[in-house]
Amino acid sequence: MVAVLLRTLRGYAFTIAGIAIGVAGIVALGAMAERIVRFIEGGDRFVLGQISVAGRGMGMGTGFTAGGLLPSSAIRAIAEVPGVASVQSQVMLPLNPSTSQFMTLTQELVMGLDLAVPMPNRHYREFPVRDGRFLRAGDRRMAVVGASFAASHGLRVGGKLTLEGEPYEIVGVLERMLTAPDRFVIVPIEDARAQWIAKDPLLRTALASGGVALQASDLNTGAAVGWRDGEEADAVARRIAERVSSVNVQIPSELSGLLRSSTAFFSALLVGIGVLALVIGGLSLANTVAAAVFERIRDFGVKRALGATDLQLGREVLGEALAVTLTGGALGVGVALLLGAAVDGWAARTGQQLFLFSGRLLGGTLAFSVLLGVAAAGYATLRVVRLSPAEAIRRGA
Amino acid sequence: MLEARRLVKTYRAPSGAPIRVLDSVDLVVPAGRLAVVLGPSGCGKSTLLNVLGLLEDADGGDVVWEGERVSALGRVARSRARARSVGFVFQSFLLLPSLTALDNVLLAGRYAGRTGPEARHRARELLARFGVLERQDHYPPQLSGGEQQRVAFCRAVLNDPPLLLADEPTGNLDDANGRVILEALRARARGGGAVVVVSHRADAVEMADDVYRMHLGRLDAEPVPAGGQG
Repeated sequence: MVAVLLRTLRGYAFTIAGIAIGVAGIVALGAMAERIVRFIEGGDRFVLGQISVAGRGMGMGTGFTAGGLLPSSAIRAIAEVPGVASVQSQVMLPLNPSTSQFMTLTQELVMGLDLAVPMPNRHYREFPVRDGRFLRAGDRRMAVVGASFAASHGLRVGGKLTLEGEPYEIVGVLERMLTAPDRFVIVPIEDARAQWIAKDPLLRTALASGGVALQASDLNTGAAVGWRDGEEADAVARRIAERVSSVNVQIPSELSGLLRSSTAFFSALLVGIGVLALVIGGLSLANTVAAAVFERIRDFGVKRALGATDLQLGREVLGEALAVTLTGGALGVGVALLLGAAVDGWAARTGQQLFLFSGRLLGGTLAFSVLLGVAAAGYATLRVVRLSPAEAIRRGA
Repeated sequence: MLEARRLVKTYRAPSGAPIRVLDSVDLVVPAGRLAVVLGPSGCGKSTLLNVLGLLEDADGGDVVWEGERVSALGRVARSRARARSVGFVFQSFLLLPSLTALDNVLLAGRYAGRTGPEARHRARELLARFGVLERQDHYPPQLSGGEQQRVAFCRAVLNDPPLLLADEPTGNLDDANGRVILEALRARARGGGAVVVVSHRADAVEMADDVYRMHLGRLDAEPVPAGGQG
């Protein structure tokens, strides 16, 4: 049985190769699209899991919210708003201040967290750690880095990282999340505040003058706010905006909408890539399978001469088409995986990952290939069986 | 017995003009007889064979096998009738290149419901009888023309059909191999089959029980030459 199958497949070697190329194209383009989708979805999931608050103003915030300083008094006021479960002070700074803050989602950021407060984000109760551990309350001069950051800087657990002239021990590396935290350096908020002061001469001067009533705990670029069970996130966010003065509150659904509109170009690109991949790959596959059936028109004529009924012939053709498209599809997936691994291996040197071969992509592509292959074979078979056996033999001669 | 009654078949030329290739053709080939049809290229010999074997529909007339008007059957019934009652031998052998010699022979059994050890045994027996058993695992391109035609003959008779139709069965063979095939066809007729052969070969005519000549779509009986009837 296996020998017969192998022999049959050998007869279809070029067809299988043709299908494999088409499927590899679909999978590779799909994997790039998946990668971008995961990035956008990750950001969306993050902003929908918390209420992001910054001080009123502009220019200070560098994270998910733009705004001014968020003093500790504002953080206390937010915590007292009905519906609020917890407030975590945060400091987000660009690792390299000379880099534009425009592409916040892709630049390397230092994120300072108040480790005394559990993560309020409902979708990220904790960051997934691949190696080592996450930060604990009381840690100082310790850092956890994102997977891309670790790769591009050659960092691992136990290694050292110098930030603003101070050495930090790497205690953990995050799993690859394919979204913004992949490029984060996460440190205790006290250390982030020290870096902020070191980075910002104006702030340093203001603090040194004593003319500004600021304490270390006032140096926050924002806060992540969690809401109680049963509360509606947008309603709690609006309540904070009403009751706490001098803050910029991001309404989660509005921020999500903003994020999606800002990534609309990528979304359109994805749709384009997907449609192109399906049309080009699909047409190539359907054409290859149909051509393979038409190429064997003489064989089908002979089989009908020997007494094959339309049903028997159809079953044989569809069975072969199934085996051929499955084999070609699996080969194509393998080729795409190899290609993706090679390209990603090269891109990993700069902390990049271009492909995401998700289960839904691989399964969907295989199912699509098989369905299309069988449909193309079915169409070709219907055309073939309409011919008389003599005509099929004549045309195939 | 094979019988054709007033068969009519018309093709359209590329210009649209009708070409009548079978013009009220009558033919009777009783069991145990070998009929040879002669005629120039394009006279309709192959069309006649195709219509007799239900490989092609006639525009009019009837084909009767073993007393059954098979030309009136539906598609499925025709396929089953072909599998059960008729064997074909073609000039270009028409073996499936993806199958071994043995599997090509067994293919005829598959559509007639004859599979399994008994069919394999009979296929090997036939291959041995025609001297190609040692080639049973070879693919058609690995066989000579004579070997391919012998395998094709084994396929045609695997199901022991009462009718055997051969279209220029020796056209691509040398004299020795052609002789083997013609003798096999003759033996088939002697064994009780009704055999129709379209051929140009003089030795085919020598083996014929009945000889017909096709001309302008008409089929006329000719006297069997001296030395005929095997």
